[in-house]
Amino acid sequence: MPPLLAEVAQLVVNGMMAGAILAVPAIGLTAIYAVLRFPNFALASHATIGAFAGYIANAKLGLPILPSVMVAFLAAGAVGVVTDEAVLKQFRPAGFITTAIASIALTIALENIVRFGFGNELRGYALPIERDWRFGSIRVGPQQVQNLAIAAVAMAALFCFLTFTRTGKAMRAVADNPMLASIKGINADMISRLVNFVGMGLAGLGGMLIGLDTTIDPLTGFRSILSVFAAAVVGGLGSIPGAVIGALTVGIGEELCLLFLSPDYRSAVGFVAILLVLTLRPRGILGQRADA
Amino acid sequence: MTNQRIALSRRGFVKRVGALAVAGLAPAVVRGQGTPMQLGVLTPLTGAGGFDGPRMLKAMQGVIDEVNAAGGLLGRKVELVVEDDQTNPESAVRAARKLIDVTKVPAIMGTWASAVTTAVAPLCWESRTFLTTVSGADSITKLPHQGYLIRTQPNNYLQAAKHAEFIAALGVKRCFMMSIQAPFSQPTQERATEVLKQKGSEMVGTLIYDKDKTTYRSEVDQALKTQPDLIYLNGYAPDVTILLRDLYRAGYTGTRFSQSYAVTSKVLESLPFEVTEGVITVQPSADVTSPAYELARKRLGIAEPDSYETQATDWASLVSLAIARAKAATGTGIHDNVRKISQGSGTKVYSAVEGLKLLSQGKEINYEGASGPCDFTDIGDILDCKFRYNKVSGGKFVLLKVA
Repeated sequence: MPPLLAEVAQLVVNGMMAGAILAVPAIGLTAIYAVLRFPNFALASHATIGAFAGYIANAKLGLPILPSVMVAFLAAGAVGVVTDEAVLKQFRPAGFITTAIASIALTIALENIVRFGFGNELRGYALPIERDWRFGSIRVGPQQVQNLAIAAVAMAALFCFLTFTRTGKAMRAVADNPMLASIKGINADMISRLVNFVGMGLAGLGGMLIGLDTTIDPLTGFRSILSVFAAAVVGGLGSIPGAVIGALTVGIGEELCLLFLSPDYRSAVGFVAILLVLTLRPRGILGQRADA
Repeated sequence: MTNQRIALSRRGFVKRVGALAVAGLAPAVVRGQGTPMQLGVLTPLTGAGGFDGPRMLKAMQGVIDEVNAAGGLLGRKVELVVEDDQTNPESAVRAARKLIDVTKVPAIMGTWASAVTTAVAPLCWESRTFLTTVSGADSITKLPHQGYLIRTQPNNYLQAAKHAEFIAALGVKRCFMMSIQAPFSQPTQERATEVLKQKGSEMVGTLIYDKDKTTYRSEVDQALKTQPDLIYLNGYAPDVTILLRDLYRAGYTGTRFSQSYAVTSKVLESLPFEVTEGVITVQPSADVTSPAYELARKRLGIAEPDSYETQATDWASLVSLAIARAKAATGTGIHDNVRKISQGSGTKVYSAVEGLKLLSQGKEINYEGASGPCDFTDIGDILDCKFRYNKVSGGKFVLLKVA
């Protein structure tokens, strides 16, 4: 393979790996937005909570990675339901901006609760680090392939849930047309709890996937939230397939920019992508409602 | 009432004249107990620097106690007037104002955070008050301080040069430097490149990476393309941890070099042993071979005084010696004499008391400190200092050398 082509292929592979992990919390953000109509920035701290719950399960209780990932999902989902009921629900009548700002305050509070309990130091999962596999001039990390598989399974499970189950269909109905869903007798409170559970659960799962590849500390979620937000907006806030496409676009875009730019401009690429997409297509790549 | 006051006043007058006469005839030790000479201390006793500030204060107090026990300075007992800068520029400015305008100290010793020093320094040079600091930002000694500031902490320029010398001495021919996006990154890369070239080694590439990324695989690929013998990871703990993982995954077997604040014992705990094995770390060090260091150990009663404690030891010593040579407790006196007692061809001394003795005999001295030689450039930076190099083995730090 010519060197430039090999380099591009490697960057695309790296971008797909990074994008797939980004997609999981981005789906959570977009799902919550679709139903509750506000960007829930508390996703950052829920990603951190999931990462720490998974850490306790894996490093402290000795559970393998897959059950630990489930623990991360369940713990972050449960905290998501409680915090929404206790805090954010009261702000929703005050409107979009107020609730979004309250979610920023909530995320800072939750992050500090984690800091109070665990301190600031870095922690790693009980997981050996393996050398990369090499396929010609392309290298792929076994851990990242595993993360990609977990992310793909989570996304497939969510797709099946939304497509084939009665509750999933109810959730989509509320997202599509809350008024009509209400006339049809769908319980909006139950749906909002469910979407919080699933959305924050996915954030927690994403937090743990990020932690598996790096280390975790109370800022794990906060460090990633801007990229997650970029992915959801590029894909079209409110569209679940859009979140996946947005995450892959941001992930691969950030990597491919290294062909032309210094690595310190990598983060800027995600935000240039937001500007470009929103200028050319204000509702995002797959967004349905620019006015939502 | 009035008569009584006059009578008391008369008695007081007689007493004072008597006391002055006795003091004039008394030996130095007794005379040193008169009106104290006040020196300012402005350390962070709370806030981010709250761990280092109290220890620095203790080190300064230790030196001043010794000076007082030996008769004080210019026949007066020395007293430290301590203010807490709270690691906060605004609080520090208020505290510095009090030290300068109310207490009228000739010197302020101890600012720690660069933001605090940057805020306090103009008050000092405008009032001709001498300032000693541990702050590391290169910009501090470039302020127009007119010589009223010295810094005992190595700046980035000196650190980069020393690190490059060490790397070249390892026999490294091809070095690559990965730095986090920060103000120090580019100057450090430029200086290290320059020194590596002088020492017969080569910087085969540098890059500055974005912080807060979850992976640096592509950056690692860029570095590995240049086939380096050593990769210098110049970042902070969260990103250097990811880089170490990604370098291991990519199969890199060369040497990895980093600052000790980026590869801490907590980082070693969070990573499998095989990922950190052989990593070399560096940090500024006290001059552990110096007799001044040995004296500081005894004075403080601790096995290994760190860089901050030894720098504080040296400030108190340098200021005391400069005042003694100037024969005046003024900022200008310290300003004019600090280099005359710390560098040059005078007799080497390792403590304030030793130096004061020689100065009283009219001899010239060269103070060699516990933190290093304490030789300063025109803008107040140290010319040289020691660094401590550790190597990671089995998840623990093993001392390579202090040089």
